[in-house]
Amino acid sequence: MPPEASCYSRARGTEVLLYLLPSLVFLAVFTYWPIVRAVATSLLEWNISHPQPRFAGLRNYIVLAADPVFHLVMRNTLLLALVAIPLSIALALLFAVLLHEPLGSLRPVYRAAVFYPTMVPMAAAAMLWVWLFNPSIGLVNYYLGRLGIPRVEWLYDMTWALPAVMISWIWKNVGYLAILYLAGLQAIPRDLLEAASVEGAGFWQRLRHVTLPLLGPTTVFVVAVSVINSFQIFDAVHIMTQGGPADRTNVVIYYLYQQAFRFWDIGVASALTVLFVVGLLSVIAAVVRQMERRVFYEV
Amino acid sequence: MPSVPAVFERNLRALLRRRAQTLLMHVTVGGLSVLWLVPYLWAVAASLKARTEIFTATPQWFPSAWQWSNYLDVFRYAPFGLYLFNTVVVVLGILLVQLVTVTVAGFAFARLEFRWRDILFYLFIVQMMLPIHAVIVPNYLTIKSLGLLNTRLAMMIVFWASGYGTFLMRQAFRQVPRELEEAALLDGCSRLRMLWSVMVPQVRPTLVAFSLISVVTHWNDFLWPLIVTDTQDVRTLTIGLAMFVQQESGADWTLLMAATVVVTAPLLVAFLLFQRQFVESFMYAGLR
Repeated sequence: MPPEASCYSRARGTEVLLYLLPSLVFLAVFTYWPIVRAVATSLLEWNISHPQPRFAGLRNYIVLAADPVFHLVMRNTLLLALVAIPLSIALALLFAVLLHEPLGSLRPVYRAAVFYPTMVPMAAAAMLWVWLFNPSIGLVNYYLGRLGIPRVEWLYDMTWALPAVMISWIWKNVGYLAILYLAGLQAIPRDLLEAASVEGAGFWQRLRHVTLPLLGPTTVFVVAVSVINSFQIFDAVHIMTQGGPADRTNVVIYYLYQQAFRFWDIGVASALTVLFVVGLLSVIAAVVRQMERRVFYEV
Repeated sequence: MPSVPAVFERNLRALLRRRAQTLLMHVTVGGLSVLWLVPYLWAVAASLKARTEIFTATPQWFPSAWQWSNYLDVFRYAPFGLYLFNTVVVVLGILLVQLVTVTVAGFAFARLEFRWRDILFYLFIVQMMLPIHAVIVPNYLTIKSLGLLNTRLAMMIVFWASGYGTFLMRQAFRQVPRELEEAALLDGCSRLRMLWSVMVPQVRPTLVAFSLISVVTHWNDFLWPLIVTDTQDVRTLTIGLAMFVQQESGADWTLLMAATVVVTAPLLVAFLLFQRQFVESFMYAGLR
């Protein structure tokens, strides 16, 4: 290391502290302390019937394990992720690939049309879809009726409420994912695609053998972002269904909210928090590891 | 050797095929665009109709008489002006502090050497994956014991450290040539002074991108403000909308849609005016 380099880069402890302390204080108080506190609180019985918290061991976890609503909540959360994420990624990829083509002066219009839901709060987006899914005067049922499909009760239907929530979520999120893919596409060197063209590769062949493999790293990021987003769905459920009918759209954060702020069971809510944090981090770790392995093999 | 007409025909075919392919692309992406626009436009249409006019057998895209008064009614029935004010205060209050915290922390991680640097940086990264929604219950208890329930400060303070912002700034500062910094330090600048007058101007695009993303994110926040507020005077737009929905549950759709448009309009107008800037910021910040 050259002497002058060490002179400017080796900082005194107090100076480093000056730069990091503002962030570290808030990280400690609102990110890391809450995790510790959730673990501690999850071991307490602390609810309406026991307003004075007392140690209860693993009681709250046992309560959850035996709770049929919790099982339904897990099912709904996973189902939502497994259906809505692949669908939104496919749509985002389609949009991005098309928007990357030279489409002339209409291109910014198309781009705005798909991206604008990113600016719409999920709570407001949910309102738009409540109106669209209205069973008697909603636009969705009207056009389905024109296609000869019988009326669906959507948000009041045990089967169709969750798909309705998924649709609103996909509508809101695809634009953002498409923009991420568009950024990935723009990073692919033009001459690589041109070389493929010269070799006689058509649009589909270029897409399959050049573009998609090179978008691997973007996809890892897109999947991670989508998993984080989908596990946190709350606003749409709160506005559209309140978890109903019969908990068919109840998802993990909504159930957490109900336990804490409707039923005032802080102990069970804390146990849910712990399970959620562990679940989220391990799913993200698994996704990233799995996808990175595949990305490197395929390229 | 092929005859002249044969060559001509082959070129013509290739041209036609390319044209057909372009047309197909326009039809696909155009159709999807319309599909994506319909939900919002349909809400705008409803917001301008008379109460009775929404119950038509076939959908009417244009009202027979434009009911601008629906918008006045929305502001009369709920204090959306106050909600807007609160939202702006909260969003800017979050952003201004974040800009300071992420700049200094990003700089330290990019340019200084110190013990436990990697471990500390890891603490910032994990926060990106552990959003506030994961730990609302313990945070609610903390805010409660700090006596901050039902304040605007409560809605801001939990977001004042940003692992994501710190990460972005670290990347940006790493791109700045070291010579700039050395020259300033040789001139006798203090490091903090150098950071402000030499480094910050170099990373302005990243600061703009982060700012836009922060504003959009917190403008759209819902769960946290919902939990820590319980009176009208501190509520933000999204919470105001949810309360309005409950209050108007007699389902006057024209008013509900007008309220939805009111809540979404400020950011959408900003987006339409600065589309390029918004799109580029979201692209850039996703790229890493």
